[in-house]
Amino acid sequence: MEFLTSNSLRHSQRAPLALKVIALITAFLFACPGLYLVWRNITSDSDPLGLLFSEQTLSPLMRTVNLTVLVTLSAAILGTGLAWLTIRTDLPSRRILKIVLPLPLVFPTFVGAAAFIRTLNPGGLANDLVEKIGIDKTLELHGLFGAWLVLTLFTYPYVYLPIAARLKNLPISLEESARLLGDSSWATFRKVILPQIASSLLAGSLLVFLYTISDFGAVQLMRYDTLTRAIWTTRLSNQPVSFALALILLSFAAIAVIIETLLSRRFRKPDITTQAEIVLTPLNKWKTPAIAASWIIVFLALITPTIALGDWAADGLLREFRGGRPLFIEFEDIIKPTINTAWVSMLTAIIAAAIVLPVSYLVAKYRSSIGNTANAVMTSTFAMPGLLIALSMFFWTLRTSWAAEHLRGTIVILIFAYLVRFSAQALAPARAAVASIPASLEDASQVLGASKVKRFFTVDLPVVTPGLLAGSGLVLMSTMKELPITLLVAPFEFPTLTTKIFQSFEDAFVAEGGLLALILVLLSAVLTWILVIRRSDHLA
Amino acid sequence: MKTKPKIILSSLICLAFLCASCSSSSNKREELSERAAEIVQGDCANDAGKEVTIYSGRSEYLISPILEAFACETGIDVRVRWGNSTDLAILINEEGKSTEADVFVSRSPGPVGFLEGKNLLGSIDQSVLSLVEEQNHAASGSWIGFSGRKRVLVYNVDEVAPDELPNSVFELTDPVYKNRVAIPGTNGSFEDWFTVFRDQHGNETATKWLNDMVNNGAKYYPNNRSIVEAAGRGEVDMGLVNHYYNYQEAVALGSEHRAENYDFPSDDIGSLLIITAATILETAKDKDASNELISYLLTPQAQSYFSNRTFEYPLAKGSKPNPILPVLEALEIGSVDFDSLGGGFEETERIVRESGILN
Repeated sequence: MEFLTSNSLRHSQRAPLALKVIALITAFLFACPGLYLVWRNITSDSDPLGLLFSEQTLSPLMRTVNLTVLVTLSAAILGTGLAWLTIRTDLPSRRILKIVLPLPLVFPTFVGAAAFIRTLNPGGLANDLVEKIGIDKTLELHGLFGAWLVLTLFTYPYVYLPIAARLKNLPISLEESARLLGDSSWATFRKVILPQIASSLLAGSLLVFLYTISDFGAVQLMRYDTLTRAIWTTRLSNQPVSFALALILLSFAAIAVIIETLLSRRFRKPDITTQAEIVLTPLNKWKTPAIAASWIIVFLALITPTIALGDWAADGLLREFRGGRPLFIEFEDIIKPTINTAWVSMLTAIIAAAIVLPVSYLVAKYRSSIGNTANAVMTSTFAMPGLLIALSMFFWTLRTSWAAEHLRGTIVILIFAYLVRFSAQALAPARAAVASIPASLEDASQVLGASKVKRFFTVDLPVVTPGLLAGSGLVLMSTMKELPITLLVAPFEFPTLTTKIFQSFEDAFVAEGGLLALILVLLSAVLTWILVIRRSDHLA
Repeated sequence: MKTKPKIILSSLICLAFLCASCSSSSNKREELSERAAEIVQGDCANDAGKEVTIYSGRSEYLISPILEAFACETGIDVRVRWGNSTDLAILINEEGKSTEADVFVSRSPGPVGFLEGKNLLGSIDQSVLSLVEEQNHAASGSWIGFSGRKRVLVYNVDEVAPDELPNSVFELTDPVYKNRVAIPGTNGSFEDWFTVFRDQHGNETATKWLNDMVNNGAKYYPNNRSIVEAAGRGEVDMGLVNHYYNYQEAVALGSEHRAENYDFPSDDIGSLLIITAATILETAKDKDASNELISYLLTPQAQSYFSNRTFEYPLAKGSKPNPILPVLEALEIGSVDFDSLGGGFEETERIVRESGILN
């Protein structure tokens, strides 16, 4: 199968000026945190280049690279496999799986990792269980293995969601002919499906990559000393070093983004997309192993941490019921953060979908250099530590007294900060979706004389929507669990579930933390079901 | 079918705006939370038309009932930004003179020292400073301690026999303790403690101790809570932590939690008391209201809340710690010059990193 094609028609098309202007403005706004970081490197006499080659940086950097490569590979395999199983095969229970498989993304890693430790480590719930049946095997999650396991289980949805979206409107004619010609399921997958989903796979893997290099919660609890931890431990005692290390991290992210952009150009475009009913591949003898594999993942990534949270919460509720120490939270302490979390994350997800569209078109359709620049800026910012994004919001709003008065500590700036941090998650699937608009379909409509606007709504949008929804779903869940930005940038008296959970775990109020974390998982399940899964099911 | 989610969504959004418009600060006694009502004596005062903004590195669970009670008793509105002490100090530094914070409450002296070094702190009124013993406030008046946590050794009661417990942190480098001790190397309280350790015993001794601990297989954990939790499960035998996490875990988990605190003899550096500090920013808009707030933290009702509800040591003159806590001896608090801590953190961070404990 040929991967390299040149699409002469598209190259000849010039990007509309309006799109370019919008992308430029977006890129400029999104560059604020990066520019702040560069500025702070200059003003605090940081020496990022000197630091880059020092032992102090090199060993954490190597650990970051090891962990990131491993997590990206395993999440890519896991996400692709699960997406194919739930969308393109006759796997039993796939309806439920479609709802629960994206959910592990919603665990803040500091909660998820703590819950894992509580369940699996020596003396934990699972260990108690196996000890009762006479097995004395104590597994201890920590270091590279612990961080790899936790991050893989919590990040595969970055791959799963975009690929599931892509698989929903894949041309089935090829797949069927391949099968009719006697190819096995695996051969069909490799020869027909894989090339078609390659751009989504690449986009999703990039998100896993960027998330992993910027993760702090999991590596901290698993005691794995990566670059983010070095940034964190030096942030007060040695700010110049912390700023320099963050700049190194950001440059590393930018390189990854550029490589991904170059790679994604190598994949050929699909010929035709169909909205027809998907023909499901029968799994036959593979049915049982496939069910087992899917549910083992759900068990590890969703049920295991939930059991620990449930155990913490149940202990607290039982205690209150039996007249022991009452819970430290009242009903209002749950309702208000839940409502805040719900509406602010939904609004962020919707805006994210809207602002990534122009850039997606410029990159995937017009291959414009402005689009590529905007894409690089918006995507690499995803790897920036939340604390620095938060500080940059203050730095920029305090430049003018108008902004200080009208923007600082408002919902507007909070949502902007969320967008800066998470838009990459909507952008990557959206780019892949726009790239999948078949040229033939568009040419036809052009020949028939449809206007650009009409073409967008009738031809492009139906093809792009599943990818766009998947991306918004990612932004939604990430915003719900965001912590460092929310703590510093949110308006006063604007508690969210995550800020409450953070405070609970900080001071060992584990019952309260467990209860709130369960609500967070439940809320994300309801919202992703309503906003993402259900809607894209309607389209398929 | 398709309209249903839309109805749910739009009603959610409406509810959100309704709730956003409802005022949160209350001036009525019956609107107080249960825990705040416990602290308030008498009725709420009328609205004083004043406001204090606090950046608090102490969590909501530990301190918000007291702030609520303060707002009720004085009629002064309180706005709080909750967060990690270190991050809040960095934020105040970034905001500089235009910070919204009037009062900064820190879980340990480190972040306060950082702000003092940046010349961002004002001074607290003498009348407020005199509420605590001289050693519990800065000589310059830039900060005051209002509660304290003691460093202790938490241990698993099934894995550690009473006669195995050491007389001093220095004994933990003995082969008897090989692979058995946890250290929260990057934790703020630990860094404070280690900085005082260096100050008291000299850099060489402190560095050697930490390196010996690492050679003796000491394990790194990210914070006090995870050590206490791990000791309770028996994942690790013992660990150097703040005293009060164990009470919270024990209350939360009951008999399932198999850990207890061990208090080193009083002259040992291992039993240091770490002070929770309050400061007033130089740019505070209402210095009187800010002083009033800090003095409220030192009232008998607030101090007894700390000792009985959050298991901390009260620091106001004449207040008594909860009898379940290890005895606090006068010597322990006063012996350390906390003012010298601010500048010493860079060195602490370097020694901790180079010891290899984090790997």
